[in-house]
Amino acid sequence: MGVMVDHLAAIMLIVVTTISLLVQVYTHGYMREDTGYSRFYSYLSLFTGSMLGLVVSTNLFESYFFWELVGVCSYFLIGFWWHKNTAAEACMKAFVVNRIGDFGFLVGVLWFLSATYGFWNGHPVLMFSDQAGYDLVGAIKWAASNGSLTAASLTAISVWMLMGPMAKSAQLPLHVWLADAMEGPTPISALIHAATMVAAGVYLIARAYPIWLTPQGTTDSAGLAIVAWVGCITAFAAATIALTQFDIKRVLAWSTVSQLGYMFCGLGVGAYTGGIFHLFNHAFFKAMLFLCSGAVIHGLHHCFSHDRDLKKRLNEVSLMDRLIPPDQDLRNMGGLKEYMPITSFCFLIGCLSISGFPGMSGFFSKDDIISSAFRYAGPGHELLAWGLVITAGLTAFYMFRAYFLTFEGKYRGKEKPHKETLSVMNLPLLALVIPSIASGYLGMNPGMWSQIFGGTPTPLPNVFTQFLHWGPHPEFEAADPTVMLISTAFGLGGIALAYMVYLNNLGLNTWCQNSLKLLYQFSWKKWYFDEAYIWFSQKFALPLFRTAWNLIDMTIVDNMVNLSSFVAVGSGEMLRYSENGRGQWYALVIFGSVSALGLLYFLLRPLG
Amino acid sequence: MDPQHLLTILLLIPLAGILFIVFLPEQWSRNTSIVLAGLMVLVSAVVGKNIHPDNLEMQLVEKMTWISWPLPVEYHVGVDGFSFCLVMLTSIVTLLAIIASESIGKTRSRLYYSMVMLLTASITGVFISLDLVQFFVLYELELIPMYFLIAIWGGPRRDYAAMKFLIYTFFGGIFMLGGLLYLYYQLGLSGAQYQTFDMVKLSTFSPILTPGVQLIGCLAFMIAFLIKLPSFPFHTWLPDAHVEAPTPISMILAGLLLKMGSYGLVRICMGFFPDALAVLGVPLMILGAFNIVWAAIACLVQDDMKRVIAFSSVSHMGFVTLGLGSLSAAGLNGAIFQMISHGFISALLFFMVGTVYDRCHTRQIAELGGGLAKQMPAIFYFWMLAALANLGLPALSGFVAEAVVFYGTFTSPIAASVHVMPVPFAITQADFVHGAIVLAATGVILSAGYMLWLLKRLFYGPELPKWSGHLSDMKPYEMVVAASFSVFIIGLGIYPLAITSQYTPLADRMAKDTAAKVTVSMRPQQFE
Repeated sequence: MGVMVDHLAAIMLIVVTTISLLVQVYTHGYMREDTGYSRFYSYLSLFTGSMLGLVVSTNLFESYFFWELVGVCSYFLIGFWWHKNTAAEACMKAFVVNRIGDFGFLVGVLWFLSATYGFWNGHPVLMFSDQAGYDLVGAIKWAASNGSLTAASLTAISVWMLMGPMAKSAQLPLHVWLADAMEGPTPISALIHAATMVAAGVYLIARAYPIWLTPQGTTDSAGLAIVAWVGCITAFAAATIALTQFDIKRVLAWSTVSQLGYMFCGLGVGAYTGGIFHLFNHAFFKAMLFLCSGAVIHGLHHCFSHDRDLKKRLNEVSLMDRLIPPDQDLRNMGGLKEYMPITSFCFLIGCLSISGFPGMSGFFSKDDIISSAFRYAGPGHELLAWGLVITAGLTAFYMFRAYFLTFEGKYRGKEKPHKETLSVMNLPLLALVIPSIASGYLGMNPGMWSQIFGGTPTPLPNVFTQFLHWGPHPEFEAADPTVMLISTAFGLGGIALAYMVYLNNLGLNTWCQNSLKLLYQFSWKKWYFDEAYIWFSQKFALPLFRTAWNLIDMTIVDNMVNLSSFVAVGSGEMLRYSENGRGQWYALVIFGSVSALGLLYFLLRPLG
Repeated sequence: MDPQHLLTILLLIPLAGILFIVFLPEQWSRNTSIVLAGLMVLVSAVVGKNIHPDNLEMQLVEKMTWISWPLPVEYHVGVDGFSFCLVMLTSIVTLLAIIASESIGKTRSRLYYSMVMLLTASITGVFISLDLVQFFVLYELELIPMYFLIAIWGGPRRDYAAMKFLIYTFFGGIFMLGGLLYLYYQLGLSGAQYQTFDMVKLSTFSPILTPGVQLIGCLAFMIAFLIKLPSFPFHTWLPDAHVEAPTPISMILAGLLLKMGSYGLVRICMGFFPDALAVLGVPLMILGAFNIVWAAIACLVQDDMKRVIAFSSVSHMGFVTLGLGSLSAAGLNGAIFQMISHGFISALLFFMVGTVYDRCHTRQIAELGGGLAKQMPAIFYFWMLAALANLGLPALSGFVAEAVVFYGTFTSPIAASVHVMPVPFAITQADFVHGAIVLAATGVILSAGYMLWLLKRLFYGPELPKWSGHLSDMKPYEMVVAASFSVFIIGLGIYPLAITSQYTPLADRMAKDTAAKVTVSMRPQQFE
């Protein structure tokens, strides 16, 4: 146990403390009328504390400790409205899926520890960094040089360990919990399930980066290639799912999954700085987007709260046949810009940022990652990079779809929402606008302007890279201008398409639903992951367990033990009495024990 | 007070208490026994003050000849850091169980409380006994009060459950008796001076026996202890006994009785037969890992909430077997920590089951139907704490135990060996160890699954209409019990050193002695 703040931790600390503070302010407005107001704040504090603990951990075990604690806070908070069946199922799902990841993580850590066991030699084990060199890097070098750790076994360890971050950061195939985590109150979705906790997986990979590298410490390892591919596939899959969702929070949740995929991919292709930079930027604009969605839900809530029957049904349905609450349904919104100008403005900034609109923060970090993916030399790097570019286009499309459906056009609900007044809920939104734009400029170097105009070709490390980098020198991860152009074109194309479809009545939507029915369903059903898992657990694993248990425990073992006790006692007659629990039976037992003792003594007496 | 007689006093309090309770009026029995159990906690604390954990010898020893012929049997008590922890656990859990007996103790109070006192006396006796025959007698004596406590105050199938419990344990007792006499006889072959039942002497004498003889002796004791633990395939008595036993008795059963088995495994199987344990290490680890997973699977398919908790007890005792089998210092330390941590957690869980049962009069999960949190928020929070402790959440005591056991399994000296098992394919012992680790680690997923699923089916979701207005939240005495357990669970989770310092020197030495017997080639770099 201990605390450690280095540059990586410092960046995370900024994210966690800033967003926590703003969310706590926001919560006062959002949860004021909830009966669990103080309970909510206590969970929130517990979470912030655990998250800070995770950030400043000095070794993998300590990380695991806080890793689990943030997981349980997430469990508490998703299930905060415990009377809602969907929330109850969602919190359980989140914890169990995370536990699957933790299982892999634990096995990986233990394997790594056993491979480097002789190294630590009384020093605290699994330290991230240590002055005397007793840290992960030293351990890997030591183990690689004496043969207890080969490149293959390090890859295997990194894959086991990756399960932890994959679950926490909702990467395929352990991503299923995050969208359902939206059953929790919206401030939680902003703080835990968008900005901080879900980024912990990315943070952990960056923290224990040497484990994913080759034993020599280079980035062309199989472990990183797997990270990159997991990230890329997740980014793409989640973006396609987000295209068809109608629940505003779910659209944002899927977009979080997708953006976390970008971060994974960034770390995977060796863009250590780029991945963390995206984490940093994403935390601000995604938190803002969620808080905006919360403001919308809060604003619309009273318009739909009269339907008691619906409310009851919403409480009782299970997660699989979940109904979209009307105040979260994009189809009931529209034209809210008129009623909620501040929220609408903030949401727009967030959308621009996440779509990589030039000049917004998302633009800088996303292009960092995509450029690095193009430069990446690992397996299938072109596919990887183009996957990210296409995802960037999809991102712009679905985010603006959400924006247009919510704030533009005509209001589609029945009862009109109140006009927004500047409240405690708007202040954090406005505060977050600043980093959503400005934090991206950390990805530039002031000297670059003179370069652009002066035409000197050598790239300069940008501010963020200078602050945080892997290896001895700041890496030149500056985005490639060509790549910038391509991805911006895709982004703008996505925005334009969304405009055409949702504001200009381009019939693409209905065409897709009719002609590409299968694809549409595939996206709407979230690639059928939930169905597959439900089938596996309900139809396969549980019946199997039940049968096995009935067969072995209830039939074989129980009868066997009954039989052996029967033999030990020696007579079926006695067993009949045994069922009555009579006193005579007890006398027999005592008599039997005495005779057995005598007999044994006789048999075992010292000879001669 | 002369510290020399402390342990005898500790043993006499509950025994004398039986007389008090019997001769005092019926309505006084509850308070009398609370006072007596409180006294036991005090005396245990004084014991703790008077022993030195760094001293590996037995302390506060008191000795008297009991029987001299044909077998030399003595009254012989003493504690070291390890047994002190369990004595302390016994006093605390007993006190809280007696407080929790509010409603059940109203019928035939005097008999009930005197039985509980007898039970306490025998459990405490087992932990402080230093004579093997005395140990055996007290180990079996516990059957009598337990049998009656289940058979008189139990649920509808109490006769069956009590008898099943009796037969099972008695079956194990025969093996233990056999092992005891076998040990005595075999030591006699080495010379008359070795013939003794003194456990302190036995732990130095019995390692001179040949490994084959040790193995037989060890197995005989082990069967008895594995039944009590309980471990697959001897575990089926436990769910029945628990389901039928009244709440406080379940608390004692899970919190203390199971610890007698694990105490025996450490004190006798490991302490007396290091050569045997060196051979049995891998099978024990696999048994432990299988136990964890199998019982967790069983938890997933139960319809009765008390059975879920009962099987989860079985699952968690698998960590004791796993840690013990690893033969490493950390493994043994973790196993001992698990005993104590599980003593508190399982007792709290059974108590919480009781609070729900008292209000709803059913244990069927389907009948409870969920949504109970609405009228019983405090019960819900304590349930949540207990459930999270049970699934090994960090900062709660269960996590410490599991993490240390896992750490112990891979630092196992067996894993470092390249010894090939006598099986087809060149599978090394290390492969078995790693297999056991992975298997046991899947238990981490399953335990989260069954605990949270149970919690969800009991407390989350909309409330059934039949409960509305019929349930009440915690009473003050329930709050006292649950809060006390929670203090221990959180305290041990945050500051495990509070008790580990008591037994670590001892456990480290025992593990070292045993590991030294693992006569297989080591990888050179592992122990340089």
